[in-house]
Amino acid sequence: MSLRITHLSKLYGKNIALSDVSIEIGDGEFLCILGPSGCGKTTLLRLAGGFETPSSGSILLNDTLYSSPEQCLPVERRNLGMVFQSFALWPNMTVRQHAEFPLLRKKYARMDAAEKNRLIDQALESVGLSTLSDRYPDELSGGQKQRVALARAIITRPKILLMDEPLSALDAELKISMRKEIQDIHRMTGATILYVTHDQNEALAMADRMMIMKNGRVEQIGTPEEIYLHPRTAFTAAFVGKYNLLRGIWDHDRFYEESSNACFHDRTTCSELKEQNLFPVRPDQFRIVKQGDGIEGKITNRQYCGREIHYSVDCSGRPVTVYAPVREDYDLNDTVVLIKKEETD
Amino acid sequence: MKKRNLLYQALGCAAVVFLFLVPLFRLVLMSLSQGGGYGFGNYAALFEDSRTIRAIGNTVVIALVSTLLSTALGVLFAFLNAYWNLKRKKLLELLVLAPFIIPSYVITISWTSVLTGSGELNRVLRLLHLGPVNLYSLGGIIFVLGICNIPLVYLTTVNTLRKIPRELEWAARAAGCGRWETLFRIDLVQAAPAILGGSVLAFLSCMDNFSVPAFLGIPASIPVLSTYIYEKAIGFGPDSFSLASALSVLLSVVAVAGSLTMTAFAGKSRQTDSIRPDFSARIFLNQTARRRVEWIGITVFLLLDLVPLLNMTAASFQKIYGQRFSPANLSFQNYRFLFTNSGVLNAVCNSLFLSLTTCAVCILIGTAAAYQKLRGKGAAVRLLEFCASLTYAIPGIVLALAMIFHWSKIPGVYGSIWILIAAYLTRYLILQIKGSTAAMLCIHPSLEEAAHVAGGGKIRMWKKILTPLLFRQTLSSSLLIFVSSLTEMTLSSILASAGTKTIGLTVFNFQQSGDYNIAYAFSVLIVILILFGYGLIQYGCRESGGKKERSPEHDAEGTRSSHKDALKRMEESIL
Repeated sequence: MSLRITHLSKLYGKNIALSDVSIEIGDGEFLCILGPSGCGKTTLLRLAGGFETPSSGSILLNDTLYSSPEQCLPVERRNLGMVFQSFALWPNMTVRQHAEFPLLRKKYARMDAAEKNRLIDQALESVGLSTLSDRYPDELSGGQKQRVALARAIITRPKILLMDEPLSALDAELKISMRKEIQDIHRMTGATILYVTHDQNEALAMADRMMIMKNGRVEQIGTPEEIYLHPRTAFTAAFVGKYNLLRGIWDHDRFYEESSNACFHDRTTCSELKEQNLFPVRPDQFRIVKQGDGIEGKITNRQYCGREIHYSVDCSGRPVTVYAPVREDYDLNDTVVLIKKEETD
Repeated sequence: MKKRNLLYQALGCAAVVFLFLVPLFRLVLMSLSQGGGYGFGNYAALFEDSRTIRAIGNTVVIALVSTLLSTALGVLFAFLNAYWNLKRKKLLELLVLAPFIIPSYVITISWTSVLTGSGELNRVLRLLHLGPVNLYSLGGIIFVLGICNIPLVYLTTVNTLRKIPRELEWAARAAGCGRWETLFRIDLVQAAPAILGGSVLAFLSCMDNFSVPAFLGIPASIPVLSTYIYEKAIGFGPDSFSLASALSVLLSVVAVAGSLTMTAFAGKSRQTDSIRPDFSARIFLNQTARRRVEWIGITVFLLLDLVPLLNMTAASFQKIYGQRFSPANLSFQNYRFLFTNSGVLNAVCNSLFLSLTTCAVCILIGTAAAYQKLRGKGAAVRLLEFCASLTYAIPGIVLALAMIFHWSKIPGVYGSIWILIAAYLTRYLILQIKGSTAAMLCIHPSLEEAAHVAGGGKIRMWKKILTPLLFRQTLSSSLLIFVSSLTEMTLSSILASAGTKTIGLTVFNFQQSGDYNIAYAFSVLIVILILFGYGLIQYGCRESGGKKERSPEHDAEGTRSSHKDALKRMEESIL
């Protein structure tokens, strides 16, 4: 079983919101769609949900046509659950009524009341809301609201769960703890999850596979490790791994940085970036030393973060970010040299 | 300093009590007075009269049925305009809202021109064996009032619908609800408080309305409470005023109770608060269906608004009332009469003077009150707001009576134009207070603080900061006051004397005396006058708003036309 998206495009008037997106999503896979705002990730989710009709291309679940420009299976017949950034709770219903709502449809008319109650109790239990079942949305905190939305989305055990930045409206602390709950729900239901977010940490932490998008196009698809360690485009490198992109000339595995005479060895950089004369280096891959064979620069900013210190280093007019351990303490305007840490593997 | 403030507050409260509360108190007192003493005799006498019971019955039936009519149409078109992918929405909205700025007596007159006994429409109906339709009947009153109140329901509903987040619908769709089921289970339920609020407004407006039953009911001797009070008040008799007062108290109790229910409902509902209205379409029809819905909608309202008005315009050029249209029967004589008759000219001058004065004073007092309410604290402003709401909630005919009892005690007011000004101010001030408050809410106090920090004095701050920012919104909210007082009829029907007749009253007199064609011609002029005034204010708004002054809220909302803006102000005013 798989959800197959083929050459999907969406135009709003003359604006291209989504352009030629193709991906096959496996059964029970957790796919994170990651990108900055306006990159088309929400459009993709809405197309998958059937809230919008594609301009070209198609979406198929197994062999059933879900969406094409000519034909669009209505949302309510797609067997999916959805969670929104704004929670989308109905202000006039209690927590329990929210969970019950999907079971009131005709499809479940023959299910007996006891069974329904059992399902509701189970769903509320799984999101930890059993004690709050008679509360109204305005009596709940942000995290509780999103749990209600989750319970409502999973009660009918849908094949596909669509999540549109579900954690973006929550505060930092809660975000981290809710990640775990969403992972639990994924394990418990075994549903295919399409999860849209602009937070790369969230995506790296939860996804089975990630899809990086920019300006309506797919930049790269891969596992979190692939995306983080081996970015294939400059955008992916900068957006997900916060890579510094050094310019220079490649000669096989050697890279000569253009503004200094520094030379780096690297065997992992992909050919696409090499062709663009770019060398991606993560902030934690640099070491700052007083003297040595590397890129010279001047420290222009310093942020103490407890575990490490984040430096901005000006290298011939180009800013480079370096995360250094606290024992490597430098002051503003210090002249330093950046060298690359030796890979341990 | 503190003592002086206290003194100001006390003076303010005293003024409010004298201008707003004492008149109502005198009315209640009058309803209880009999012979030399006080008692409930007037009420007992009223209920012995079968006409009273009939008037109450008629009032309730008319109000209920016409409210149903306006609610059905208002809600339907609110849904169409808010959610469907129709084009020509602006035209449709304009047509739906037309009865809001055209006075109800003009609508009544235009319909009587369509449905004259021997008119074209009735001729056709008779051929179809549907019989002649008589507008001078209970059904006629219900129909015309229903049309007049559609905008009230529409305005309260349409914005609520736009503010229902799309995600609420999507969540229901994902939960297995079909499109139409979602519309009923989610949107209609969410909008129910607003729809209910709109219907209560329409209901109150029916109770309050005097001109429609006066034009259609008095000739057919169908009494409703408002016309019954009028008949009693202008009738002679030892205790006609006392009886009218007692009736007024009855009517007011029902009206105020209605207002309170509405407020209670509005407060109780669980609403997701302060969401930006979403103007994009949610329900998509294919092109043929879309066109069909558009044209059906536009046709319905063309038939309801425009056709009667055009028919009335055509009829206004007729020499003899009730004849078929023919070149021989055409002339300008009705207009010639209007332009040469000194009474008409006098009435137009009076109404213009009244409406401009009312507008100016309301803007001054209303804006000052709004400023006090938001920035300062004081009992006087709160009392003023409460009292002004009260005098707006009670029916106009009742207020008119109260004004007589109060101002006749003060020499030189009753019988002059000043009693009308006093009455209009008492009636319409709340609209400006609300409008100015809404305008001022958009200006963050920090703007003022910034002006103070920058070293501007109070006067400079008002001149340079507040006036430019408030100008546009304040002016557009005074539009409703301008139009209402220009075409006002209820208050002036009781308060005007020989030299101080207003436009509305003059039309009423023409209609009562059977000069129908002159009434048509005058109504046409009124519509032109309203459109002119509306255009003038629009122009004023655009001039001031278009250049550079934009309040923060307006920046966010982008390129909203000033027309929409004026309607929004109106809506804020009535709620």
